[in-house]
Amino acid sequence: MIDSVPGLRWVGNGQSVLSGPLLELAERLDARFLSWASRWDAEDHRFPPVLSASVLERIDWFRSFQQLATFPACLEDDEANLARFTDGQPVDAGGTVHPTDLAPISDVLTPAACYHLYDHCAGQRFDGPRYFTTRNTCFRREVEYVPLERQWSFSMREIVCMGTVEETRAFVDEATREVDRFVAGIGLRVEWEHASDPFFRPSTNPQYLMQQVDPTKFELMFEDRLAIASTNLHHDHFGRAFHIERDGEPVRTACVAFGIERWLSAFVHHFGPEGPWPS
Amino acid sequence: MTATDARDALRTWIRERNPDVPPGEPADGTRIIERRYLTSLQVADLLLYIEELRQAPVDPHRLKPGVFASIDSIHAAFFE
Repeated sequence: MIDSVPGLRWVGNGQSVLSGPLLELAERLDARFLSWASRWDAEDHRFPPVLSASVLERIDWFRSFQQLATFPACLEDDEANLARFTDGQPVDAGGTVHPTDLAPISDVLTPAACYHLYDHCAGQRFDGPRYFTTRNTCFRREVEYVPLERQWSFSMREIVCMGTVEETRAFVDEATREVDRFVAGIGLRVEWEHASDPFFRPSTNPQYLMQQVDPTKFELMFEDRLAIASTNLHHDHFGRAFHIERDGEPVRTACVAFGIERWLSAFVHHFGPEGPWPS
Repeated sequence: MTATDARDALRTWIRERNPDVPPGEPADGTRIIERRYLTSLQVADLLLYIEELRQAPVDPHRLKPGVFASIDSIHAAFFE
């Protein structure tokens, strides 16, 4: 079905091009997510897609999710090196780039939209709950890709709460209710399920074990197979790493995340490739 | 081991790793993960300690969500 969706062109390297009514649906869905963010007067931020690797190092990301990382690489900026690159065969017939010397890599393409927010708030001290929202193009390297469902690059909208234990839990509960009202209203077949993040070698990662016993992550599963949204309680993980405080203690954080292309897939499968989709 | 002994042993184990815990804490129902008395780096150690206390192994693959939420939940899962 997904091959014949008007407004979808699958590029083949794990990325899709959206246009026409499908693009309109994507924007309408994001507008809906943004309207939920306004319930908390969440401050909207638009960050670049490139994130300093040192930001992720603060949360030990490269020891838990390194298999997902995509690094932007640049040629070393000296004339001889640049000349050698063009004198050779920059890109072969198979599409493989043959770089000469590369400049040191110090950035990563955003793997999750909310990471920028913790870095943005680093060192701040709050005396009340704070709410943020952001949307970004995210990049996750995978073994296999599926149009709209598992892509190398995709759009993620997140709403983030920074506050106390009680405030972050209340935020997640309210966000869950909001999503539930929406999906019930349009009749989408979904259920929340306890989930864990895609850790590298999970059996040896204490954070994976912790997620098994501490249900902090729930995914909204479409037809029992596709996670289209998630709620996440992070405890003080980001507050401690980025020195964000609330009343003298590391702030607690929580987020709700929406994978926009996955919502498109759910709509296409449930309502048909040409709709009509709920307005 | 009595129920009180197990609870007190768990409380002592947590207090030893959290010297700043207020007097009387953690109570049996205190949410020890939410309060950060128990972190991901300590979960495996706590599992080993529980095995030592109950003198029986614990299969980490059969742990259920919420099992380490409080001293009460740990007791219910491993000592009853």
